[in-house]
Amino acid sequence: MEKILSMIYPLAEGSVVTLQLFAVTLLLSLPLGLLLALARISKIKPLSKTVELYNWVMRGSPLMLQLLFVYFALPSFGILLPDVAAAVLAFVLNYAAYFAEIFRAGIQSIQKGQYEAARALGFTYVQTMRRIIVPQMIKRVLPPVGNETITLVKDTSLVYVLAMNDLLRAARTIVQREFDMTPFFIAAVFYLAMTFIVTRVFNWLEKHYARYDE
Amino acid sequence: MGTTMVRMENVRKNFGDLEVLKDISFELKQGEVVAVIGPSGSGKSTLLRCLNRLETIDGGSIAIEGEYLVRDAKYVEEAEARRICGKMGMVFQQFNLFPHMTVLDNLLEAPMIVKKMARADILPIAEELLRKIGLEEKRDVYPTKLSGGQQQRVAIARALAMNPDIMLFDEPTSSLDPELTGEVLKTMRNLAEENMTMIVVTHEMGFAREVAKRVIFMADGVVQEEGPPEELFETPKNERLKMFLNSILR
Repeated sequence: MEKILSMIYPLAEGSVVTLQLFAVTLLLSLPLGLLLALARISKIKPLSKTVELYNWVMRGSPLMLQLLFVYFALPSFGILLPDVAAAVLAFVLNYAAYFAEIFRAGIQSIQKGQYEAARALGFTYVQTMRRIIVPQMIKRVLPPVGNETITLVKDTSLVYVLAMNDLLRAARTIVQREFDMTPFFIAAVFYLAMTFIVTRVFNWLEKHYARYDE
Repeated sequence: MGTTMVRMENVRKNFGDLEVLKDISFELKQGEVVAVIGPSGSGKSTLLRCLNRLETIDGGSIAIEGEYLVRDAKYVEEAEARRICGKMGMVFQQFNLFPHMTVLDNLLEAPMIVKKMARADILPIAEELLRKIGLEEKRDVYPTKLSGGQQQRVAIARALAMNPDIMLFDEPTSSLDPELTGEVLKTMRNLAEENMTMIVVTHEMGFAREVAKRVIFMADGVVQEEGPPEELFETPKNERLKMFLNSILR
């Protein structure tokens, strides 16, 4: 028991790194994803095509590869980022592409009549998006966004290839030092606790948005 | 008669190779209620949608209250077009209420966002409109909780909250159960009695006959015949109109 308690502290420290990476990535990639989605459905062809290419590259190549690229390859182009910044950058660029495609599908699922009603009432395009389309889109994309968010909790463990002491790396360090598998189990419990909370938050959001039907 | 509210001159509109409006001209005076009837595919809805540029025209001109929205197929710039079209309110076949807002918020939204009105200024107007359509107790309900007829009345009130001079109705009762059309038609009739200028694209011949001062019959993208309802319905001259009336009044 005492042994487990002694393992909890470094693992909790690792969890803080994991949670920070998770929270900052989510906070930045959601708005960036929305901007990308709006650019993707824009009538300006070069813009739309550029984002399409971007989404393909980010979703079509391994996140691990993108992490290693930002971390190891960027410095050779003279771009030096601190560890955390490099990890956050890679995660945000990658997740924004996924969110962008989810948001795009959500926006395009809103009936044409909503745009027409807004236009007939004198709304500009920006007002229509901000007040009518995007708020309705949020309700529809909650399930897939919840999926991505849970995936993000677990994907943060990829930073263990970098020199960052996240939850998984903290567990592995103890395992290698003590030849004891217990830290892996504790780490699994920590991850499950985090995804449990994320699941509950999204359940609550879905219930909140269920106040109206479509 | 009064001032000209809407003027269309030689309006043409194509969807690809299909000519849906062929050289349409007409005028609408203040306080006039015009019903546009015709078989489906006749271009009557397109005509209405061209007025507030839900469709853009390919030829001709449209002027609203003496101001050109589009002249010889050349539109005025966006902000100006939005201002001119702001004189018109529109009601759709599918209601198109904003489902994520309560009934009251549906009414407040456009005045607050488009006209930048303070909530306190528009609130009494919205409440009065809800009282007029008999739905004041539904103000905090979400639209899908209402019947089709109630939704359409809210949609009318939402358009009226912007204080338009002209109301466009695009088959307002066509997606309603027969027993619900009456309440919507009554709301429209009240509006006509208040001297609102109205264009109503409709299949409701009863409404066209009783409320409209003028009926326009369209087919194949052309105004085939127009005149007072009694004349159009009792002594139709156009062959297409005779056929149309036979098929629906049979």
